[in-house]
Amino acid sequence: MQTEKLTQSLIESERQIINKSGNLKTIHLKFLSCRQSAESWNILECLEHLNLYGDFYLPEIEAAIKNSGTKGEAEFKSGFLGNYFAKSMLPKDKLNKMKTFKNKNPLNKPLDKTVIDKFTDQQLKLIELLNQSKNVSLNKTKVKTSISSLIKLKLGDTFQFFINHINRHLKQIEKIENEIKTSSISQ
Amino acid sequence: MKDIIELSEKTIILGRNEYLKVKGSVDTNIYFVESGSLRVFVLDDCEEQTIRFGYKENLVVSLDSFLTDKPSDFFIQAIKRTVVKIITKQQLQTFLKTENNITWWTAILENLVLQQLEREVDILTTSPKQRYERILKRSPQLFQEIPLRHIANYLRMSPETLSRLKKS
Repeated sequence: MQTEKLTQSLIESERQIINKSGNLKTIHLKFLSCRQSAESWNILECLEHLNLYGDFYLPEIEAAIKNSGTKGEAEFKSGFLGNYFAKSMLPKDKLNKMKTFKNKNPLNKPLDKTVIDKFTDQQLKLIELLNQSKNVSLNKTKVKTSISSLIKLKLGDTFQFFINHINRHLKQIEKIENEIKTSSISQ
Repeated sequence: MKDIIELSEKTIILGRNEYLKVKGSVDTNIYFVESGSLRVFVLDDCEEQTIRFGYKENLVVSLDSFLTDKPSDFFIQAIKRTVVKIITKQQLQTFLKTENNITWWTAILENLVLQQLEREVDILTTSPKQRYERILKRSPQLFQEIPLRHIANYLRMSPETLSRLKKS
């Protein structure tokens, strides 16, 4: 895959993500905190879950770029594991459930709208990192995963995995929004 | 201007604070603002610096991307709900095959160069009062269309300073 094409498509995904998050700010806190069942996340918890991942990955990505010492390359080739992780994040037609690591589960954590601001700030940071990554190799620069510091992914795969993960949960948020709309109509 | 707007085959609506473009993207489109307002800014070490505004009936473009087909550092964000018509670079290039249209386009670009020169003098003017007066004289409409805090950023002064200058 051409690196330039990949970066452009990731930047465009980020533009759509940041617009979506801005729109969530206009929703009433009551709806943002509304959950469909005791075990399922509300909208703010979905975002907080993403923020927790951002807290881990954004500094890791930043450090990896800074210490990379490589040059930009025209081609990017996904690694075996990276490709698997990134693809596993893509939502299927019917959103499949996935296990959450305990330290990334915000269920019942007290949250307010600042969660959205934090999410938006993280996306601006990610856009900045996507720009910085143009000067290093997306193949040779490796980023630790949150699963284990022994498992590292190519920077290009980390970006894809990370952004697919965000899109996965934004889709979940859309689903919650629709459920709230339907249940408030039927009441 | 009417001819070029008629080239457009696509209209998009942006909600308040939505981004039309973010840093690092290649964007060679020309945008005609039907309604609403936009600002073009760069992020300088986490601080936003507004470079230009676009409001009703203005053309907005990431001129660097448009001319070079390369990524541009500019962000373009809607200040309020904004409707823009998209004219692609390709549509414009076809349009410019006619002699008359080239004359029209050259006039637009020449005008832009003059505006940029004015803006350069703005930024190099030390006195905040003079910076404010230059813009007020040049584009009084700006103060009708754009919130004060964005104009203050554009003028490189605090919103408090701008509001004090407006009163005096």
